Amino acid sequence: MSSAPDREPAHLIAHPPHDVGGQPEGPVNISDHELTPFEKHCHALLDVLATHKLVNTEEKRRGVEDMGEVIIGRLTYYQRWAVSAAKVLNEKGLVTTQELGRKMIDVRARLTAEEQ
Amino acid sequence: MISRYAIGDRVRISARYAPGHVRTPFYVRGATGHIERVLDKFLDPEREAYGVNAGTETQLYRVRLNQSTLWPDYSGEPADVLELEIFEHWLEPA
Amino acid sequence: MTHDHADPHAPVEVDLSDGPDYFDVMVHALQEILVDKGLIGAGEVRARLEVLDAVEPGRGAALIARAWTDPAFKQRLLADGTAAVEEFGIDNYDGTRLIVIEQTPDVHNLVVCTLCSCYPRPVLGLPPDWYKSRPYRARAVRDPRGLLREFGTEVPPEVTIRVHDSNANMRYLIMPMRPAGSESMTEAELAALITRDSMIGVTTAKLR
Repeated sequence: MSSAPDREPAHLIAHPPHDVGGQPEGPVNISDHELTPFEKHCHALLDVLATHKLVNTEEKRRGVEDMGEVIIGRLTYYQRWAVSAAKVLNEKGLVTTQELGRKMIDVRARLTAEEQ
Repeated sequence: MISRYAIGDRVRISARYAPGHVRTPFYVRGATGHIERVLDKFLDPEREAYGVNAGTETQLYRVRLNQSTLWPDYSGEPADVLELEIFEHWLEPA
Repeated sequence: MTHDHADPHAPVEVDLSDGPDYFDVMVHALQEILVDKGLIGAGEVRARLEVLDAVEPGRGAALIARAWTDPAFKQRLLADGTAAVEEFGIDNYDGTRLIVIEQTPDVHNLVVCTLCSCYPRPVLGLPPDWYKSRPYRARAVRDPRGLLREFGTEVPPEVTIRVHDSNANMRYLIMPMRPAGSESMTEAELAALITRDSMIGVTTAKLR
């Protein structure tokens, strides 16, 4: 797909950027990497959220798709999952922006202390 | 339990384009093929995406499409096919 | 802008690239809040991490090797992949339904998820980066022969290609053809020939 600034508004909505089947693309970079601890943690958390239907698989996907082309292109696969989970939980009032923001400060301080 | 379509039925995949979370890829909208397999009923993913976790069970099918009719410039062989899963509300008789 | 003499009234410039990763912090924070609220159990994420670490393509390979050596099991596997996986003792931990498709001399099968990264995780583990990449997802449906060539797999014109877009509730496992010359091999030896890539359909199973 040509990039967002070149596309008509209707097309940007009707044909969202994650829906790539048949789009022109180059060769496949046949590479893989061992998941980092963050990535495994994120995957495991999202699986647990799906089991409890707190963030089901379709909600997670929809949350990622709604981020739009620019953010989808800049964030890694699991960074997108993390943000999607935060947003869907927020929508449901299960984890508010205020709660998450405060807890992130606590966690950041603790992890910083652990690294020292 | 009888499903609306049976194996071998010729079907068209609807050409609808509203915003939302859809599991029918853009590249097959409006395409015609036939039912390859009748699967089970599953919750509608378009509703699940907005938190509806019950009550939307919808028949799912596998549809087979001919690659040469799907892509104007298909460079493979005439018998090549593509198969994917389509929910009943995305199918019309063809 | 930092100040040499800290002004308590100045805005705080946050360098989010410094220290613990922003997204890592987010995941920890989400988990802790949800456990504190009793919405998820304290050990659930750890338990799921253990499951994820335990599952790898060898499970799928063992399944296929059994199908190669037991014709009745092969028919059950092709008829109802989900039931056969459970019969075989594999934990179908994500509750998805499995369709097993066999490669034949006339038809070569290939699996892709154009919309995201749907993959038969209970039998193959987590998908490789290339499977989740835009080029693979875009081109597998439109130029499967060209794509397969990039993986070193040449499909002659007389062989039909059948691409499966794993776009909804089913997951797909390809049963490669058993290589000629493997007739005297044990099930375990056969399993070692069945690579993850051959179970996605980008390569075939070969004698080593």
